[in-house]
Amino acid sequence: MSSVTDRALGPPPVWRRLIGRQETAAFICLVALLVFFSLTADNFFSTRNFTNVLGQASLTLIAGIGCAVVFISGEVDISIGSLLATVALPLIVIMNDTNSLLLGVAGAMAVGLAVGVINGFLSAYLGINSLIVTLGMMFTLRGGVYLYTGQRAIADDAGLDSFIALSDGRLFDVLPYSAVIAIILLGVFVYVLRFRRFGRQIYAVGGNREVARLAGYDVRRVKFTCFVISSLLATCSGIILAARVGSAQHIAGLNFEFQVVAATVLGGVSLSGGIGSLGGMTLGVLILQFLSNGLRGLSLPTEWQLVITGAIIIAAVALDELKRRRAHGD
Amino acid sequence: MTEILRTGASGRTSFASLTGSGQLVLGVLLVALCLGISAAAPQFYSEANIIAILRQCALVLIVASGMTMLIIAAEVDLSVGASLAFVGCVGMAVLNATDSLALGLVSALAFAGAVGLVNGIVVTLLRVNSLIGTIGTMMMLQGGVYLFTREAVQNHHQLASFTALGAGYWGPLPIPVIFAVAIFALCAVTLRFTTIGRYLYAVGANERAVRLSGIRSARLKLAAFVVTGLCVGVAGLILASLMNAGQPTAGRGFELTVIAAVILGGTSLTGGSGSLFGTLLGVLVLKVIDNGIIILGWNQDLQMVVPGIIIILASYFDLLRSRHHA
Repeated sequence: MSSVTDRALGPPPVWRRLIGRQETAAFICLVALLVFFSLTADNFFSTRNFTNVLGQASLTLIAGIGCAVVFISGEVDISIGSLLATVALPLIVIMNDTNSLLLGVAGAMAVGLAVGVINGFLSAYLGINSLIVTLGMMFTLRGGVYLYTGQRAIADDAGLDSFIALSDGRLFDVLPYSAVIAIILLGVFVYVLRFRRFGRQIYAVGGNREVARLAGYDVRRVKFTCFVISSLLATCSGIILAARVGSAQHIAGLNFEFQVVAATVLGGVSLSGGIGSLGGMTLGVLILQFLSNGLRGLSLPTEWQLVITGAIIIAAVALDELKRRRAHGD
Repeated sequence: MTEILRTGASGRTSFASLTGSGQLVLGVLLVALCLGISAAAPQFYSEANIIAILRQCALVLIVASGMTMLIIAAEVDLSVGASLAFVGCVGMAVLNATDSLALGLVSALAFAGAVGLVNGIVVTLLRVNSLIGTIGTMMMLQGGVYLFTREAVQNHHQLASFTALGAGYWGPLPIPVIFAVAIFALCAVTLRFTTIGRYLYAVGANERAVRLSGIRSARLKLAAFVVTGLCVGVAGLILASLMNAGQPTAGRGFELTVIAAVILGGTSLTGGSGSLFGTLLGVLVLKVIDNGIIILGWNQDLQMVVPGIIIILASYFDLLRSRHHA
């Protein structure tokens, strides 16, 4: 509403536009956090620590891209946590059998693709509420993992160098490879969302389904593709996680979907669709990751992280809502 | 407006609306399950097993009763699992400190009610989407319970009256079942026969219209959150009594079971329609499946897979039916 009137009056000054965005608030929050912990926590302000945090953040970041894309298209996907545990099975089992990272990754991707296709088909084409579809998928996958593993971890016996490098290797001895992968994927999807037809279609479909349909977009195909993207990206996260723990864990990714959803919403991506950016999502992920890293540096009990994270999420969304109401004069 | 009228009408159970709703399908499914399982394993109908199923159902049904009201009002509470664990620990700690059953129960219920109130304030006053807001409180409760106690709070005094809460019988019926029936009946009557109940449907169907007609929708939602919180309080105490301790790790994933039962019972996540009777059927179906898997000696991990598939199928059939009617 406000954006329409703004445009009618001519473009507002840049600073005005920036101030109104949740991304700006998230950025200020991140900077404040970095300053605070640099002053208070031991060993916080160092290249080593920052690159470590980036490496840790890569899991949430990669899956967060998918989460943001699905949110922007007006749907949700909460099956990603269980998917993380699921894709580790074909990966580790195939690698143990064949000693080939490529085949293992291909197996994991195939499983991830299948899950994305099923989620997308049920939600986009059959029209079942995506929260229910992915909730059911979450149960089914987790149960399937328990069934297959008998609730035991499957160790990586192949011990391939290329696989281990995913967890502790660093580009130029600085940036962890997982962070490099996350940054590349982020770059690709920022480009797609901002500059490609398909990206604009996602915003259109999430913003107003009916208008998008009348404009000639294939709404169902766009949403379907978003679910497939989300599952494939979560598969990447699952592969990195498996490399990090060196095995397929049946409890891997428990509550992961909540972390990702929280970070995405914190970064200003709206649950109701059509609004948000990958930059915002990235800020949300970094805030939560630096927060947990900094609190560890303060040697607070780790449980405080959960409490503070929960409070920050509520505060961030509440502030955003307040701002929106002011803008609408409601 | 017609939406409100229609949902208002479907809230009452007449034979016509029953056959038109998914409840008949669910009822048939339940009977088929019972017949199928008992044909394969006759011990399904043994007294001990039926009581075990009922006790399992009681915990879920108590919380699901409150959750149904909440989802009908178009909100949801994901913090119930984390709260369930915390309530048990608080109740047990007070019980240990004071040796008084009454104080233990009151403090646990007060704590649970306060959690509901906070959830309600976050959603109605701060206007945070309830899915996100209650993920926030879920995290705070999960962290908080570990700050409160790292290990299970053991039952020091072993009061007989507290043990009876979970394991006792009143006549042939286990006490948790009595609690569940009472809470279920109270919520069902409220939803169906009181103004507040009718308003809850209206708020869920079209909040704006309700607000414009002078009803304080925020207060109604707040009340629904507090009621859900209190239900969690009762369930948490029963669980603590059954485990003879307050477990900080209890209730993991409980919120999903409860929501699954409510959705399975035909209550729409978008609000405005649904019934407690459906929720009862949903709870029974899920728990009979759970029990059947154990009785038939199947792998217990199927207890996650089967409900997952059933939830998706149930909402698909629901969708087909509503399209057919439209």
